[in-house]
Amino acid sequence: MLRLIIDKELREIIGSTKFAVTFGVMSLLILLAFYVGARNYQVSMREYEAAIAENTKQMEGLTDWSRVDNRIFLKPQPLTALVSGISNDIGRTVPIQTQSEPRSQDSRFNDDPIYAVFRFIDLEFIFSIVLSLFAILFAYDAVNGEKERGTLRLAFANPVPRDKYILGKLVGSFFALAVPLLVPLLLGCLLLPLLGVSMESTEWIRLATVIAAGLMYLGVFLTLSIFVSSMTEHSSSSFLLLLVIWIFAVLIIPRTAVFVAGRAVDVPSVDEVDFQKSTYLSQLWDDDMKKMDEFRRSNPGSPGESHEDRHRKFRAYMTELADARTGKLDVFSQRLNEDRNNRDLVRQHLALGIARISPASVFALAATDLAGTSLNLKNRFDMAARAYRDSYARFIQEKTGSATSFWWMGNQNEDAEEIDPYELPAFEFKEAPVSDYVTSALPDLAILVLFNLVFFSGAFVAFLRYDVR
Amino acid sequence: MFSLLVERELKGILLSPKFTATFGVCSLLMLLSLFVGIQEYHHSVTQYETALQLNDRQLAGETSWWGIDSKVYREPDPMQVFVSGVDYDVGRLSDISTWNEVKLKNSSYSDDSLFAIFRFVDFTFIVQIVLSLFAILFTYDAINGERESGTLKLAMSNAVPRARYVLAKFVGAWLGLTIPVLIPVLLGVLVVLLIGLPLDADSWAKLATFLGVSILYFTFFIALGIFVSALTRRSSVSFLILLVTWVSLVLIIPRAATMAAGQVVRVANVAEIDAKKDRYSTDRWLAYRSARMQQRDQRESQMANMTEAERAVFRDANRQKWTEEEDALRQTTLEEIAEYSRKLDEDLNNQKAQMQAVAFTLSRFSPSSAYQIAAMNLAGTNIDVKTRYEQAMQDYRKAFNTFVDAKRQEERMQNRRRFGGGQDEPLDLTEMPRFQSPEYTYQEAVAPSVLDMGLLSLYVLAAFAGAFVAFLRYDVR
Repeated sequence: MLRLIIDKELREIIGSTKFAVTFGVMSLLILLAFYVGARNYQVSMREYEAAIAENTKQMEGLTDWSRVDNRIFLKPQPLTALVSGISNDIGRTVPIQTQSEPRSQDSRFNDDPIYAVFRFIDLEFIFSIVLSLFAILFAYDAVNGEKERGTLRLAFANPVPRDKYILGKLVGSFFALAVPLLVPLLLGCLLLPLLGVSMESTEWIRLATVIAAGLMYLGVFLTLSIFVSSMTEHSSSSFLLLLVIWIFAVLIIPRTAVFVAGRAVDVPSVDEVDFQKSTYLSQLWDDDMKKMDEFRRSNPGSPGESHEDRHRKFRAYMTELADARTGKLDVFSQRLNEDRNNRDLVRQHLALGIARISPASVFALAATDLAGTSLNLKNRFDMAARAYRDSYARFIQEKTGSATSFWWMGNQNEDAEEIDPYELPAFEFKEAPVSDYVTSALPDLAILVLFNLVFFSGAFVAFLRYDVR
Repeated sequence: MFSLLVERELKGILLSPKFTATFGVCSLLMLLSLFVGIQEYHHSVTQYETALQLNDRQLAGETSWWGIDSKVYREPDPMQVFVSGVDYDVGRLSDISTWNEVKLKNSSYSDDSLFAIFRFVDFTFIVQIVLSLFAILFTYDAINGERESGTLKLAMSNAVPRARYVLAKFVGAWLGLTIPVLIPVLLGVLVVLLIGLPLDADSWAKLATFLGVSILYFTFFIALGIFVSALTRRSSVSFLILLVTWVSLVLIIPRAATMAAGQVVRVANVAEIDAKKDRYSTDRWLAYRSARMQQRDQRESQMANMTEAERAVFRDANRQKWTEEEDALRQTTLEEIAEYSRKLDEDLNNQKAQMQAVAFTLSRFSPSSAYQIAAMNLAGTNIDVKTRYEQAMQDYRKAFNTFVDAKRQEERMQNRRRFGGGQDEPLDLTEMPRFQSPEYTYQEAVAPSVLDMGLLSLYVLAAFAGAFVAFLRYDVR
């Protein structure tokens, strides 16, 4: 019996013009997202490689390591192009200096604001906005539409249990939409290697989980539509109601919730933190200047000592001070950063927690977590940059004797040997293990399942009491 | 006759339950967007003012002109409440110093990426996405719905000219939808007045024009709805077509166009350019240093045969000249570096302008993009905000450098010691030039929007003409 109902539902949906049109649009969009994602990935990869090459090239021919301007770059990931998350909003380049803390800059949207105007088409966008709208379009009249046409009464003239009927409706419409959707998705996945984007097996697993999350999200809107449709008399009113819900859930709640809740928690602005750091630094400088004066006064130099020797001694002392200064500043900055991060975390929990009343936010958060483009990306990149800075400082210390030598203090040595830029420690932004991504997405995936269950039980209860006449 | 038809149409819209629901939602959303927008504006003003104060305090703590550098900030504009544009994406500040180039950094979204996840909701967003959807919802069955219910046949059995009938449909739908939408808009403007958003005359003019453009955009979707419904027999079909059209016009074409442009025009990466600049600057400063060494050796050799006392006299006599020489050398170096950067930046900006032209041309096939571009141009939150501010900041940097250079020279002539002891006194900053935010007048705002306004009008005309012609041939049975 159940199979019969599912069969009927499947046939009804797949045979409709509506299905042909929306399926066409969805396939086109999905393939477009994969194609453009792959091309974008290649373009960013080229840019990334060009930036690295240029960074190395500009060091060639220099003779002093302390004169080197070094930069590290965020390596593009294929999944980033498919689910962009915040990857375009965070800085991709970090100038590395031994004395100051690394700070990422040059976000893609800042460099090319034209992309920020209309943003990108990615899988997350297509699923969360277009697919949910189409889900409503197919299920808004699942129950009350049958009633209006009189087929519901006809169906219940037979001994059909109501629970089986509603379950059959849901399963039927889910498969009718989800299975055809898999076709362009699989084609898209096939497109990636064809376009020369190679992904590791862990990335494939993550992509598959993103797609699974997308299907769960589709389920949320299907169950919701069936729920609303079995709560209302007319299909026109259920459509209107669903459209309003859609507008709020997809377009309004995620955006406003984060802004309103986010501003409720006070997080010191970056400007304030920077001010504190630079005030502290200038204090340290003032103290050190006095110490240098003191040093000069107390070491007038013995008569036998040459000017050069005196200069060298003073330089050594300055370097010593500079190293101590950097150390102190690092500790101070770290404390400030930690404080800001902690408050930021509180804010994130509050804002995202409230945003999660909309399934669209839940899906977006799950998808970006899986793709590695959530807020974690920024933290991980910052941490990696800091670690690199430390190893870079050690390297420079080895090469020049001090991590904080000032190039204007160095000796001009015309026939010094050229440096070899390839000796520099390489920056590698390691991927977290796949379990990390999945674990962080797990709560959101669970919420999606919960949404499905709640709406389905709502539909179930509502339909049991539904007046089929 | 005409007014009767309009009246009938008006009643049909205003009395429907659909209308009550959508009107409520629209009003709520518009007011919500303004509420969030105003809150964000106040937040950015506070942030801006605090930043300025902190910068002043930091400058006030300096004791030597040598290490001095400053920061300048982009000033929040109240128009961003209505059209946030790329305001949150573009860097808020730039360092100003002798050694470093102007570069906007620390965009709101990169500082607080939390807000970048779902981005912002503003008035433009509501009009662009929600209102257009509602316009379709009300007009998708304007003609074929009447046919299905049989009223069209009935109406046409009277002596009603078809042209007049379709015109009345359009006017009625327009009035019935636009006037109610204007109520929350005016309410919002009232809120803005009461809260005291600092809008000057120019901003009010921009706002009025922006609202006009919004209505024009909304009108397009009304006309489009009537057009498609006059092309099709059944309202379910016209709704499907309109929904797909809406998805493509509002959500797809704008995005796809920019991405296509990105594929066609290759724009160099900023990091690449920066690396080139760094290398050039290092080379120049190395050359500068050798030149200084040479200078010093030359002077030493001039004084080689002098006694200590003679040397002092010689030094004093030449101090002015030497300082000038040294300054000239430094100036040339700085200018050469600036010139090199300027050339690289110019190339980059040309590439970007080219890409932008392609992207905007392609995306303007959708009225939705035309509307957004016009809105951003009017509000001054367009992509040009970046170049506009960078230009102003570069000019400021020149003034700042000239001023600081003069001060440094003074300081050197007074022979203040580099390594200060206890006699540090704060610098006199009263004469230091202050950064003035670039003006963005109404004329400047309207000039680039004219094209898009014209395009929108054209789209409206085309859709209406389509509806007109389609209805003249419509089979009313």
